[in-house]
Amino acid sequence: MAQRPQKKLFSRKKVCRFCGDKELKINYKDVKTLRNFVSERGKIIPRRIVGTCATHQRQLCEAIKQARQIAFLPYSGSTQG
Amino acid sequence: MRRYETIYILRPNLGEEEITKVIENTNEIILGDKGIVIELNKWGMKKLAYLIKKETQGYYVYCDYAGTPAAVAEIERKFRIDDSVLKYMTIKTAAAISDEQIQLAVSEVSTRETEAQAAEAAEEEVTPEKPTEPNKVSSETTEEATPEKPTEPTEPNKVSSETTEEATGTE
Repeated sequence: MAQRPQKKLFSRKKVCRFCGDKELKINYKDVKTLRNFVSERGKIIPRRIVGTCATHQRQLCEAIKQARQIAFLPYSGSTQG
Repeated sequence: MRRYETIYILRPNLGEEEITKVIENTNEIILGDKGIVIELNKWGMKKLAYLIKKETQGYYVYCDYAGTPAAVAEIERKFRIDDSVLKYMTIKTAAAISDEQIQLAVSEVSTRETEAQAAEAAEEEVTPEKPTEPNKVSSETTEEATPEKPTEPTEPNKVSSETTEEATGTE
């Protein structure tokens, strides 16, 4: 409970980037976009931090996993492990 | 008919002939099952995000086609046997595709390619001969029209680094 007031300090309204920009499509081949939603270690960044909506986060998640399968994105580690 | 796209990674040390052989073999399977190759694109050498069979690089080939599930199974079976294929991935993009839609997609791809070629020619100021007509069977035109450089996915121009910064800040 003590964290509550602290959270207010840097609360900014997070908007889903894919809802705001209809041009931006989620595609597993579009590595440059996907890179923004993956941490340096290659983990998928949670929704509460990037602020994407549930629908798009789901699509994003799938796209990232597909990109990993075909070695566009790493499973872990920054680039070459 | 369903629409699929397959990406396969070939070993980097293959010769040009071997690469075309693998591509031709897969195209034959698609065409043999009354499918149509909508787009075939050689992305060329790319760095892999992780090692695959101890290789750091791979030759990417992208193929968009309309075909049957049996054809996909056959292609994947061949890939598993073939030692020169490091990895492959097939994704179903449409559960059903009609002949008209196929034609539409084919013409779309060919116009996009001619445009890309025109842009390239304008850059170089040397005009190579253009394909006169977009053929009905795409496998011919696409093989001619494949650009030399690997086509990168469209640049997300409106993406800012805001969220990533934010993410690292809060973590």
